[in-house]
Amino acid sequence: MREPGRTPLFLLAILGLSGLVACSDAKPPLTQDASAARLLTQADPDRGRRLIAEKGCIACHTVPQVRAPVSTVGPPLNDMRRRAYLSGLLPNTPVNLVQWLLDPPAVNPRTAMPNTGLSVAQAEDIAAFLISLP
Amino acid sequence: MKSCIRVVVLTFAGLAMCGALAAGLLVYTGWYDVSATRPHTKLVHQLLDIGLARSVAVRAEQIQEPDLSGEARIKNGFELFRTHCVQCHGAPGAAPAPYALGLNPAPASLVASARERPATEIFWIIREGIKMTGMPAWKYRLTDTQMWDVVAFMRILPTLSAVDYRQWDENSTRRLPRSASSAPAPASTSRIGDVTAGRQAVEQYLCATCHVIPDVAGASHHVGPALAGIAAQPFIAGVLPNNPENMRLWLMAPTTIKPGTAMPDLGISDQDARDIAAFLTTLSDSP
Repeated sequence: MREPGRTPLFLLAILGLSGLVACSDAKPPLTQDASAARLLTQADPDRGRRLIAEKGCIACHTVPQVRAPVSTVGPPLNDMRRRAYLSGLLPNTPVNLVQWLLDPPAVNPRTAMPNTGLSVAQAEDIAAFLISLP
Repeated sequence: MKSCIRVVVLTFAGLAMCGALAAGLLVYTGWYDVSATRPHTKLVHQLLDIGLARSVAVRAEQIQEPDLSGEARIKNGFELFRTHCVQCHGAPGAAPAPYALGLNPAPASLVASARERPATEIFWIIREGIKMTGMPAWKYRLTDTQMWDVVAFMRILPTLSAVDYRQWDENSTRRLPRSASSAPAPASTSRIGDVTAGRQAVEQYLCATCHVIPDVAGASHHVGPALAGIAAQPFIAGVLPNNPENMRLWLMAPTTIKPGTAMPDLGISDQDARDIAAFLTTLSDSP
């Protein structure tokens, strides 16, 4: 006597439970960065994506949505939005990200990342693109 | 039909008895390892995590969040944080005290908590504590206002660099007895790095509270960089060529090698650093 109703019900329960878990993220986290919104409206992520290819970032970094050979010289840039710190030194805020991109050795004199001579606008575009990555 | 129901009822009763007997045996024979050195399996950890998240979310639902801005509030929150929280949870560039490193479950990195949990849930956890974790209830030691002050400070905690935090600490008016520093345990005879020992040592220095580490239960926080693929990266922390010897040096004294780093000196012994470095060389697959 098999009861065909059992298995789907069980699956539904699991689905429901995972749905509940997803819902638990409804409230915003305690710390949010208000300056991210400003940067995202002013700068152009698309231009940032093109700059990443043009300025040679991909020689060292693997970047989502930018086609290039895989390189592991610098860390992959796939989770920039989730990271708490830049280079382990600066809190990961858009303002700090722009500052870092403009002149990495000024933040960390021993870093392997060079100053690539970006303008402020270019650094903001690249930062906006990196923050926009899921 | 009647006999059919009887069979079903008897089968269920039999199964229930077997289940109870098996559970009793598991408990009585001491099969489950309760030591803090043996972590939960990933599945158990995940289940407990979901249970915890749901339990807190449901209970914090009705809490109203007050205004958390205001310098006085944040400053007062910092003093309370410094007196009651940092010993176990650490802060940017500041390691937890040695006794906290050995806790299981590991005390959360509060930078991660602030970036992941809503204010009301953090308040609830501070006030009510969490069973079987080492997180005490502060309800009977602090007022609601004081606990909200701590939340207000935690809101800006992720925006502080290690240097900023040290400055706050030095500017503090209250003198605290320095807690025993995380001096490395006395070294026994050293052997070459051992992957298995390193995998175990990772659990004992709270690495999982800040780094995503493949196959380590609960290691899902992005405070430090994810460690998947670290073996394939040419540089450690962007400054040292990546080899096991440099990794050992870095693990033992990150703040000496890279002043200002958010990674604290955890008092990792020479042998443990060797073992962890060996374990890290096995993480060659990028995510």
